[in-house]
Amino acid sequence: MFGYIWQYVYTSFLRYWLKWFVRQATGKCELQRICSGFKPGATRTTKTEYSLRSSKNKVLRGALESSKDTLGQCVDQIMKEKNVKPQKDPLFKESLHTCLLQITGYGSLYISVEDLRKEVFSSENAEHEAMLLKLWDLLMPTVKLESRLTKQWGDIGFQGDDPKTDFRGMGMLGLINLVFFSENYTEEARQVLSHANHPKLGYSYAIVGINLTEMAYSLLKSGALKPHFYNTVHGAPGLRHFHQLYCYLAYEFDKFWVLEEPESIMQFNQYREKFHSIVRTHLQDPDVSLTLSIHPKNQQK
Amino acid sequence: MGEAQKGLLSVIEKLKGSTEQEVRIVLLGLDNAGKTTLLKSLASEDVNTITPTQGFNIKSVASHGMKLNVWDIGGQRKIRPFWKKYLENTDLLIYVIDSADKKRFEETGLELSELTDEENLKGVPVLIFANKQDLATASPASEIAEGLNLHTYRDREWQIQACSAVSGEGVQDGMNWICNNIMNRKKRTSVKTDQDET
Repeated sequence: MFGYIWQYVYTSFLRYWLKWFVRQATGKCELQRICSGFKPGATRTTKTEYSLRSSKNKVLRGALESSKDTLGQCVDQIMKEKNVKPQKDPLFKESLHTCLLQITGYGSLYISVEDLRKEVFSSENAEHEAMLLKLWDLLMPTVKLESRLTKQWGDIGFQGDDPKTDFRGMGMLGLINLVFFSENYTEEARQVLSHANHPKLGYSYAIVGINLTEMAYSLLKSGALKPHFYNTVHGAPGLRHFHQLYCYLAYEFDKFWVLEEPESIMQFNQYREKFHSIVRTHLQDPDVSLTLSIHPKNQQK
Repeated sequence: MGEAQKGLLSVIEKLKGSTEQEVRIVLLGLDNAGKTTLLKSLASEDVNTITPTQGFNIKSVASHGMKLNVWDIGGQRKIRPFWKKYLENTDLLIYVIDSADKKRFEETGLELSELTDEENLKGVPVLIFANKQDLATASPASEIAEGLNLHTYRDREWQIQACSAVSGEGVQDGMNWICNNIMNRKKRTSVKTDQDET
């Protein structure tokens, strides 16, 4: 209760006066102090985000909702509002711009991911079908798929003879992640698949992958991935970065599963929860970076 | 709250005061039948981001000193051999069928008849949800009942209920049937044990 009252008093009055006082003493506004006081990364961007969100000024709060193209203007407006002279603080403009790119980029990334999730896999869509067959070829280069509907799909961890019903609530997002991992980390994906096909310690590669897509998706949605993206992407994160994170989860989950040696696949959800809380603990660290140490094959700039 | 409870809470609400402390319901059916969607909708959770079940999900609701456990076990062929391990002390079986998946009616019928032969499910009431009635290609529940030869089941209470786990239609009717059956069954078993004792 006391904490609640303190929180209220602090955010509504004290914080404002404290900021005013420090501003008079240092000659810098809060945003300037954040941008010059912290190195680029999660701490700096998170503090900037908090500062903008709790601002009483509409221009500052509005910057969080603006689109990528108008961010430059937003930064200029903020500098005008806060009376920041570029000559006195030459690095501020770029620092704030980067922070804003990261903050607004996270929001747009969620929208793009959500669009892919809502796109239902359809057998009438040639692109969808081609992608599914590509997944097979990448994972099983020496085995030919006998027909489109076949029990063989079970060999890469789908449930029945038509994978289309397995994408469910993850839609195309699930398939794209599976293909991305197999395409960019082919060796690793095949290694993970061979673990998954272990007669005793195995699990269903594809549907566990779809399940891990759900993990990545809900972490993104809750905002838990912010520190990871703020640390690893210098600018707006894109879909590619989200797929990279999926690769990290798929590879690391397999490592974790093999190490833990669960009794059977029936224990999956228990171990999934355990893995989930390990990931969440990593995300509490301001220096978090959930990246694979292996480099992808087709690295693009 | 004056409103009638829905989903799992409605079951517990009705069963309070009956002697048993814990009720165990098991949800089975082929993969993609809609078991997890049904479970989530019973627990009033989001049904839009569901993924195939590896292993099982469990939802427990506790209220009025009673506990209701619902086990949702994956339907993939590979893990069907594990089903047996979860049947002990089951008070009621919910068997879910994808009413639009005609190609697999035979397969689902075989699985169901194998289940009803299980020692642990002897006399256990079974509710069959003819799910996905929201799809245009869904077969009516009566047709499915005929295909499954449900009329030959004389050793237990059974009911087939058309439903759509996504829209929620028909689900509560099924839950009401469940309440009545668990109550009757508990009463009967307690009468029986009383007689045994005297």
